[in-house]
Amino acid sequence: MNSNCSSRGKDAAWKECMMKRLLGILFAVLWMAWNAGAQENVPVLSGAAAFVGTNNQGVPFFQPVLSPVLVAPIGDHWVIESRGLIQGVIFRENGKSGPYQGQFAASLDYLQVDYIANPHLTVTAGRFLTPFDMYNERFTALWIRNLQDPPIIYTIGTRTSASSNGGMLRGVVLSRPNFNLNYAAYFSVSQTTENLQAGRAVGGRVGFFVPHQGVELGVSYQRFLQGTNYNASGMYFSWQPPQVPLDVRAEYAHSPGGQGYWLEGAMHFAGSRGSTSWIGRLQGIARVQQFFAGTFQPQNLLPSVDTNRFDLGLNYYLPHDVRINGSYGRKYSSLGNGNIWNVQITYRFLFPAWPGEHK
Amino acid sequence: MKIVRNLAFGVLFLTGTVALFARPQSLSTSAQSHSSSKSGAARTADNREGERKFQENCGRCHTEPQAISPRETKAVMQHMRVRASLSAEDAELIRRFLAP
Repeated sequence: MNSNCSSRGKDAAWKECMMKRLLGILFAVLWMAWNAGAQENVPVLSGAAAFVGTNNQGVPFFQPVLSPVLVAPIGDHWVIESRGLIQGVIFRENGKSGPYQGQFAASLDYLQVDYIANPHLTVTAGRFLTPFDMYNERFTALWIRNLQDPPIIYTIGTRTSASSNGGMLRGVVLSRPNFNLNYAAYFSVSQTTENLQAGRAVGGRVGFFVPHQGVELGVSYQRFLQGTNYNASGMYFSWQPPQVPLDVRAEYAHSPGGQGYWLEGAMHFAGSRGSTSWIGRLQGIARVQQFFAGTFQPQNLLPSVDTNRFDLGLNYYLPHDVRINGSYGRKYSSLGNGNIWNVQITYRFLFPAWPGEHK
Repeated sequence: MKIVRNLAFGVLFLTGTVALFARPQSLSTSAQSHSSSKSGAARTADNREGERKFQENCGRCHTEPQAISPRETKAVMQHMRVRASLSAEDAELIRRFLAP
């Protein structure tokens, strides 16, 4: 191993050797951190497994999905965290007919090192979710999003892969009992390696949160610096009235490729949040969205024509962190209207990354 | 103007839905009903404050995990300090609420 590492001329062997060394160092650091911090510092393996059945305008397909999250704290200030996505698509050969066939793909959503300096500043390096508006960072997790399909405007401000490779600063600028002002600012370099793609960009987000009213307002900006440079901007809003188990969320985003918004309301059919009655486990969701097409740009993944869509969904939260949900959506555009049905079962898991004594 | 008109229609639609289904309830009552489902253990003032912090910060995005052990809470809270920009004090209150 040492002889290979000392010779950079043999590229493949040198890379393999360095990879082994990096992994060795990573495990040694994790082991030392765990021992130094005792039982409470144990890394956790979390995430979700889901099975999604979809019928999109008459075309059926199924998606088994696994999204593991690893979080390893090192002391009180350092965290290493990562989320991957292993996803399969099982579809009919000719769309609506023919035998079923499947494809699998894996990608890395984030693998980042965080240094929590203080409440005002956390420094992040590595691959992280691009902080544009709120959907990408907060609602892409399988076990969190209310509706399976992301909003139409999701790709605005999150090109190329919704993840960025670079550095980020985030934190709370000002915190008072009645409000706080939070921010995130980042840069990303271009990366074309399969499953690790990222665009060259800079940007940021600023949010204003009023905790007692459960209201948050924010704005986002991104300058995409790869190929044709352009600006993307956005606004977001969320409201959770303390007296009612209702979540209202909305986003607006604009780019040369188009602009649009989505507005979603989700409500538990019970008088309080966290109710464990059968009716309290039921949650109704409604989302409306409109997209107005701009200048067509290849690879921006936005519709080429104006598109409207509404979705109605129902979530049922079973015991043991299992959730069943179904939704119906209808899309309207000049390319054709259509119905989209989704049914999903999700299991959210969380356990220590290695066994130990339960306190 | 079209986008503004449609957005206004959406807001009215949601407001109507809230008015139809909302059953106002104070936060303290909410906390009581929730605590009664939690193995009957008495809640301290810290727990109630922790629950309030959970609802204000974490509850904006997701529901409370149904099972979490003290061994896991450190990592979970470090993760959420980064995601939600939680202060160390708020993180500690939420940690005690999740795994007292």
